[in-house]
Amino acid sequence: MNQTANAHTTAAFEALKEGTEVPGQPFAVTRETIRAFCEGSLDFNPLHLDDDYMKGSFGKTSFGGIIMHGMSNFGLLSRMLTDWLYPVGGVHRRLETRWLAPVRPGDTITPGGRVKYKRSTEKSRWALVDVAITNQRGEKIAQGEAMVEFPLETAGSTRTKETA
Amino acid sequence: MSAQFETDFWKDEKRRKIWDDIVPGEPRKTIPYLLTLEAIHKYCESVGDRHPLYYDEAYAKASPYGGLIAPPSIHILLMFSCTPIDDWMRSPGTINAGQSWSYNIPARPGDTITLQARALDKFMKKDRLFVVHDNVFFNQHGQVICSGRGQTIRPM
Repeated sequence: MNQTANAHTTAAFEALKEGTEVPGQPFAVTRETIRAFCEGSLDFNPLHLDDDYMKGSFGKTSFGGIIMHGMSNFGLLSRMLTDWLYPVGGVHRRLETRWLAPVRPGDTITPGGRVKYKRSTEKSRWALVDVAITNQRGEKIAQGEAMVEFPLETAGSTRTKETA
Repeated sequence: MSAQFETDFWKDEKRRKIWDDIVPGEPRKTIPYLLTLEAIHKYCESVGDRHPLYYDEAYAKASPYGGLIAPPSIHILLMFSCTPIDDWMRSPGTINAGQSWSYNIPARPGDTITLQARALDKFMKKDRLFVVHDNVFFNQHGQVICSGRGQTIRPM
């Protein structure tokens, strides 16, 4: 074992099993949270602001009113991963997502994850996590896959090192 | 920051490239962006994230990261911060059809972020017009922060 191996990170990686759950926090979507995401992301697309515009049709799709930013799903999944990883010295390395259904004001959405694979490479340790978001009706509205790292050296001490 | 940011995406609509104009492989015009702690916090609040690595300087200093950082998904903000008003990502009705991002090192408050971006591909599928985006963000030291691919459905 590497001299600089971080014991709690090693323990966390060794404890991972196929099916290990990654917990996520429910998020209540309102017109205000959508507006806050406009401000936070600078994405002021009228899809998220303008009900009149959203009554129109978009090719085959009709929304009937404003919808949440798809990237809010991405941000919530990413937050779920960092909440899980930071305390054990893990690193969120990759996230791939696609949206399955629009989210509207009044919906409550909950991210979740499930470990499906883990392996060691020459220089590190990794896991793949299936991730998804479901709404209050149990409908899956986003899904994807994350890749997370359990480094041999303390997270932040190698690739995250400051050069300045 | 958002005070000088044009939030009316209809303005300048005519100056933006439509699907027909987009040339895959051609670099997009981008602008450097000074990432402030205030902008990081505004983003964090919009996803309900209050992690002390983003808020508590003493905690962050004592952590392996050695100081305050931005969350990985800050690239959501950086995409709009590093592209000009006539960029086609702002075209009203642009629909995000999926994204994948790889993370190298965290962005930090005070970083000057630059973006290298292009449309990598465009195609038609199920009567819709798609563009594939290819993006890499760097800090002022030339280090890669993160890189990502996305697909958008272009407004018709």
